[in-house]
Parts: sequence; structure tokens; C-alpha cells
Amino acid sequence: MAIIDLRNVTYKYPLTQESALKNINFQVNEGEFVAVIGPNGAGKSTLCYTVAGFVPHFFKGELSGTVEVAGADSSKSNLHEWVLNVGLAFQNPFNQISGAKYTVFEEIAFGLENIGVPRDEMIPRVNDAMKLTGISELADRSPYSLSGGQQQRVALTSILVMHPKVLVLDEPTSQMDPIGTREVFGVIRTLAEQGMTVIMAEHKVEWIANFADRVVALHEGQIIEDGKPQEALTSDVLAGKGFGISRYTSVARKAKETGLWKKDKLPVTLEEAVEGFAHV
Amino acid sequence: MNTFSMYVARESGLHKLYPLTKASLTLLLLIAGLTLPVNWAGYFLVLFVIFPLAIWGKVFKNFMRIVWSISLPFIISVIIIQSLFWGKGTPIFEFWILAPKIEGVIFATISVGRIILVMAGFILFAMTTRPDALMISLKQVGVPSSLAYIIVTTLQIVPRFVTKASTILDAQRSRGLETDGNLFVRSRAVVPIILPLVLGSLMEVEERAIAIEARGFNSNREETSLIEIPDTRAQFILRRIFMVLMILSIIARVAWQLST
Ligand SMILES: Nc1ncnc2c1ncn2[C@@H]1O[C@H](COP(=O)(O)OP(=O)(O)OP(=O)(O)O)[C@@H](O)[C@H]1O
Ligand SMILES: [Mg+2]
Repeated sequence: MAIIDLRNVTYKYPLTQESALKNINFQVNEGEFVAVIGPNGAGKSTLCYTVAGFVPHFFKGELSGTVEVAGADSSKSNLHEWVLNVGLAFQNPFNQISGAKYTVFEEIAFGLENIGVPRDEMIPRVNDAMKLTGISELADRSPYSLSGGQQQRVALTSILVMHPKVLVLDEPTSQMDPIGTREVFGVIRTLAEQGMTVIMAEHKVEWIANFADRVVALHEGQIIEDGKPQEALTSDVLAGKGFGISRYTSVARKAKETGLWKKDKLPVTLEEAVEGFAHV
Repeated sequence: MNTFSMYVARESGLHKLYPLTKASLTLLLLIAGLTLPVNWAGYFLVLFVIFPLAIWGKVFKNFMRIVWSISLPFIISVIIIQSLFWGKGTPIFEFWILAPKIEGVIFATISVGRIILVMAGFILFAMTTRPDALMISLKQVGVPSSLAYIIVTTLQIVPRFVTKASTILDAQRSRGLETDGNLFVRSRAVVPIILPLVLGSLMEVEERAIAIEARGFNSNREETSLIEIPDTRAQFILRRIFMVLMILSIIARVAWQLST
């Protein structure tokens, strides 16, 4: 059953001419890990905000169509109730630090304090969440003293600790090195397998190919491709529109022209490329 | 070290005081400094109340550094202005249009003392009070949590603004912006520095609002708190005494005003 259900969603930010989302139809099943890709300005963040309820509740503007998450209609709900079901972490980690907390541990507990979780429940929840994302040793540091990548992990943990049904992540690894990125993708994969639904706007196609269940490609506010990562990421529909394309796909596409790549499917990851060229 | 708040972590009696006790003492010093009809009250209170407290709080060195760097420009500019515009009096020296009068300089020094008192009080408070502890105790006395959040984050804005301004300054310099030279050169540099600072801050406010909302900040459930901050009966009484002193100080001022 679809836990996220967007039907004919069109949205325009206040004081703008062009719609940022145009006639979006988007259903996601429980436990699915969906990556959203697209060039700058395609509407990835806007889609994230829409699922997370900030469009239209926070940004205002004109929204038509229906947005449902876990059976509730966004237009008939309050944002402060909506966020209990849908967690949102976004790109700039610095602005996600509350500024009212002294240590990472307390920063992560901030959300639990706000929603009234009792202290004896709060402490194990924070500990578990930090262990999951691998930041236990940062517990006593000041959030401001961390690197960008570490701050992004804190931002992610601060949302995970609230146990949302749906996790919306807008470029959550943009400041992480490859090791950090791999770890975070791994954590999210595990969570999805445990039943959490994940929407993630992301540019790093090779990681998406390795970890996501499905890819949605946005272009000028419209979904132009939706499918399994391997197919969607190598689709001809994306060509020439400014999408990030895996270097292995580009190489194989060229190789195909000269007959060097024999398979039908183009590769996205290194493994697929090696495997394909091995049969030459 | 937390680079974005003035707080300096130390094990001291001052640090352990309930935040509201320190807040009411700061308020008392502010009111006393502004109202007491005694000329040198500002310096007196700084010397005999704030300095001992800073020593007790084990932050005297850091405290002096900040107070000094903030007060010095004030002292200099107030004294210059007074010496230019003070009418009659005994000139110390005369040079071109400059003729500082002894009376003007004394008056300036007295008023600067009151300003220093207020700033020093706030700085000492911010240095010895954890922002989160302040927020919790404000909520405990019934301040709405959104207001408490605004108060606490505003206290941290000044150091953050300074850091950001210098980042932007460096960035613009590396693009060739001239910031040294005569007044004209310098004033041309203002826009490329202020504009990103203001626009950046607006963006920051919006994102921060989204981030705390996503973490249930506007939830209407009863809030809980991770840390507990102990208050004592003695401190409760102390706060009442501070309040009485504030009122007395104001009464003294009014009485003095009426009698002259
Ligand atoms: N707050 C806003 N007010 C007005 N217009 C906005 C706002 N935020 C985004 N837009 C516009 O909406 C469109 C979609 O922007 P969005 O931020 O969703 O793109 P994106 O795919 O996330 O891009 P990026 O890769 O740069 O993050 C763009 O044309 C953008 O200019
Ligand atoms: Mg975006």
C-alpha cells in the first residue's frame, strides 16, 4: 500500500510566475527507498518540502492536487502534527543546529524534548540513534565544533531519533567524503529494510544505483522518468538535460557506438562496467 | 570549544548558580548603573561587584579581554565627541578646532562608566551561563518557549555575526575587494560585505525555522527536558533581594531628581 500518495500536484511559490512542480503523480510504498534526481532548479527540494508538509504550510504559495502521507491529507493537517510522521533533514547542516544546545547529545535530544518524550526514554533513544549513525564519540562535543560532514550526520540523527514513518532527505551527504557517504547510504538502506520509507534528493548517481530501490527524475518541475535505478539512471530521456550521469554510463555509451559494449543495458556502477567489459 | 557562544566552560560557583539568579543580578546592575544618582557608580560597581564575580567564576582573563576590546572604541569616541562639543569650561589644550575641556572629559568618563557596567554585566552573564540552561529556566518561570528560544539564540548572534562578517571579508578580499586605504576606498567596500551578510542571515533564519519546526518545536504536547538545573531556597531569596534593590535604586533616582 502506498504510504506517500501525490496526485496531480502543481505548486507555485509566492511571487513567482512558473510552477516549481507541475502535475506530479507520485506514489511510494512503505519501506521503499526512492532517490530523486534532477539538475539544479528541477524541483527536488520543492518535492521534498511538499512531502514533508512545508509546502504549502510554511512556504505558502498555491498548491493544487492532493498530498497524502500515511492516510492523512496534508491540506487538512497541521504542520506540527505532520512532522511527527515525516522527518526532514536538508543540505546545509549548519542551519539545522538549533543554536540552543551545548553538546551533540543535547542537540539530538532537542526534538524529543519538544514532543514531550520522558527523560528516561529520551536517553536510550538518543544513544541508539547515535550508535546507528556512528557518531557516539561526538556526544560531548559542541555541534558547532564539528566538520560539515559530521554536522550532517548530527542533523540526520536529530531527525532519526524522532522515529518518523517517512524520512525525507534533501542532499544529506553533500559535505561528506566517500567513506561517510557510503556509511550514511548503508544506514538508510538498513532503515528502509526495517520498514522506514525514504525519499532522498541526491546527485551521487553511483551511490543511488548501489543503494536505492527506485529513481525518480525531475526536470523543470515534472517527473520525466521513474523506475529501477539501473534503468532510470541510464535512460536516454535524461540525455542532454543536465542530469548527473555516471562516468561508467558515459564510457559504455561511447563504447556502444563503436561496438565495444555489447550488452543492451548500460552500466551505472564500477562493478557493472567491469562485468560488461569482461565479456568483450 | 563552542566558537559561537560566549560561554566559557569552568567549574565555578558562578557557573553553578541558577541562571535566573544571574539574570536578575545582571538586571539589577543594569538598573543601578543607569539610575543611581552617584557619579562614579558605574566604575564602582564594575570594580567591586563585577570584577570579584569574574574572578569567582574563573573567567577573569577572558572577561577582561572582551570587555576591553568592546569598551575601548566607546571610551575613545565618547571622549572625543565630548571634547569637541562641550561648551564652556577649562580647556586642557587648544589646537585648531580641538579644545577639550576638563569638565567635558570628566562628564564623558562618568557616562562611559555606566555603559561599561551594562556591557560588562551582560558579558559576564553570557560567559558563565550555558544557553540551554538559560532557556530551560526561562521556561520554568513561564516564558513561552518560542520567546525563550529567541532570547537564547539572540544572545549568541553577536559572536556569530562577527565570525561571519570576517569570513565574508576574507572571501571578498580574495576576489580583489579593496578594504584598506582612505575613507572613500573603505566606504565602497561596505556594500559587498553587508549585502551577503544580510541576505545570508535571511536565508539562515528561514532554514533554521524549518529545521526546528521539523523537530517538533511547535508541537502542542507538554515539553520535557533532558537536563535538570537545580535551584535553591537561598537563591530564591537572593532574587527577591535583588528585586527590592532594583526598586530602591529607582526610588533613589526619582527622589534625587525631584530634589534638584
Ligand atoms: N523559496 C522559494 N521562493 C521562490 N521560488 C523558489 C523558492 N525555492 C525554490 N524556488 C524555485 O523553484 C524551482 C525549483 O527549486 P528547487 O529548490 O526545488 O530545485 P532543486 O531541484 O532542489 O535544485 P538544487 O539542485 O539547486 O537544489 C526553482 O526555479 C527555484 O528558483
Ligand atoms: Mg535543492
